[in-house]
Amino acid sequence: MPRLAPSLLRQARAIDVLLPPLLPACRDLRSAENELRWLKDHAIKTGRQCGLAHSDASLKRLVARRARGEPIQYILGTEYFGDLELKCQPGVLIPRQETAASVTHLAQQLSKKRKGRPSDLHILDLCSGSGCIPLLFHHEFYAQPGNEHCKLHMVGADISVQALELARRNQKSQIAAQSKRVTAQTTSLAAMRFLHADVLLSEAANAIHAPIGVVEALQQLTNTRPTPAYEVLISNPPYISSQAFRTTTARSVRNFEPKLALVPDNPSSAPSALDGDVFYPRLLALADQLRTEIILFEVADIDQAQRVATLLARQSTWRTVEIWRDEPGATSDEADHVLLDGGESVPVRGAGNGRSVFAYRGAAAAWLQ
Amino acid sequence: MLRRFLIHQRAIAKPGLRHVRPFTTCGTLQEKPLPPRLKLVETELEESFLKGSGPGGQKINKTSSAVQLKHVPTGIVVKSQETRSRQQNRKLARLILAEKLDHMEKGNESRTSIKTERARVKKASASKKTRRKYKKLAEEDGKDDASQESADEVESELNDARSSPTAFETQNEPSKP
Repeated sequence: MPRLAPSLLRQARAIDVLLPPLLPACRDLRSAENELRWLKDHAIKTGRQCGLAHSDASLKRLVARRARGEPIQYILGTEYFGDLELKCQPGVLIPRQETAASVTHLAQQLSKKRKGRPSDLHILDLCSGSGCIPLLFHHEFYAQPGNEHCKLHMVGADISVQALELARRNQKSQIAAQSKRVTAQTTSLAAMRFLHADVLLSEAANAIHAPIGVVEALQQLTNTRPTPAYEVLISNPPYISSQAFRTTTARSVRNFEPKLALVPDNPSSAPSALDGDVFYPRLLALADQLRTEIILFEVADIDQAQRVATLLARQSTWRTVEIWRDEPGATSDEADHVLLDGGESVPVRGAGNGRSVFAYRGAAAAWLQ
Repeated sequence: MLRRFLIHQRAIAKPGLRHVRPFTTCGTLQEKPLPPRLKLVETELEESFLKGSGPGGQKINKTSSAVQLKHVPTGIVVKSQETRSRQQNRKLARLILAEKLDHMEKGNESRTSIKTERARVKKASASKKTRRKYKKLAEEDGKDDASQESADEVESELNDARSSPTAFETQNEPSKP
């Protein structure tokens, strides 16, 4: 990390004595000022709730925590994810802005054509963490005109009990924010479920002790023997390779966010640069079992996106495969196609870094194209 | 009767009903409605989200929610990073830009100028009233020590004025012997 210029520190001190300690974590004056303002507001708010007139001491404590590199979302307890303000807590990954952009874009894509679209959509989010993806998808989907009568059946699954507990709390606060009128929107939100399941556990494994595999968990939920179908499969799995975790991952992420949500457990002896890909073959196997027609998987960068797209191309059941960048709706001057190892050309949409892989097949092709 | 009067008052208080005849003889002052807010044309806007370069996603935790908005025909650029919510910042940026364009187009006739002008006039007339009041008080204070009755009046008025201590002090100081 480059050194901070002493002039910058002096400049910060002239504005507020609490600014210089924030600079190493925030890196620039603007964001340090913003964060100090948010911390101040938080200190005043929590102080008022406890009946304290002065919040200086608690503000100093908050600044000290941030100065140590703790993410501001853990300190403030919330993060904005699209339009939603979701709760955050240590031990569960903080939702990222780029994920929100992908999910919003997906909701828009699914709302472009309503002719031929089933009136009930089953959506599964694997590695749901704080529950941010299903909650935002629900919000964005019903924000589109013409979707009022479409029912969403949404399920999130995670291996972490802590994450599930947080996801359910987030769901509750979203339900509280809804209108009291009973609509497809409110019933879909109330019916959203978060299951304890291990994505990497295949059916062959002994499923006596929790967590069980995803398919078993879904069967238990619906109480049906043939596996229920989920048309849409979304996942933001752990995708950082153990090498990238050591080198390109930010220190505050490494030190404060759960490694379980970032780096996949590597049972095989894949090279450490590629062991971030462990989840994707398993997700695709689940997509086949659950008769999924639309997938959206988040990835680390354009290289991983190409590797995942290659996996999809090899399956040859997918009608269309696309790579989405950080802002899939935006236009950019960057290349709009990449070539895979097999020679196939895959469109790349939007602006920014390669962020997710989107694909569809079967009946969904009729109403997505 | 009283209820009818109250209902009437409420109807007058509504800004939309301008043609309601007041029940009382002292006419209520109807404020002219402000000119409407300028509507921005989304196609004329270029929006960008400011954030650092480098990897994104799980690898780093960006807190930047700043939004920059450019109005292409005029080239005006505004930025908002007030809140942690990008959506809220987008709305704020649009609000600021609309105000700027409105001011550019109409100058003193723009919505914000009219608003600030009205606030200024209101404040000026309020301070004028207090000034007049204390001037009168000071005059009465000076001329009569004999009449107990009016002194009592002054006393009660002074008590009223204590709710705004600063105005009271600054206005009354010079007249003290």
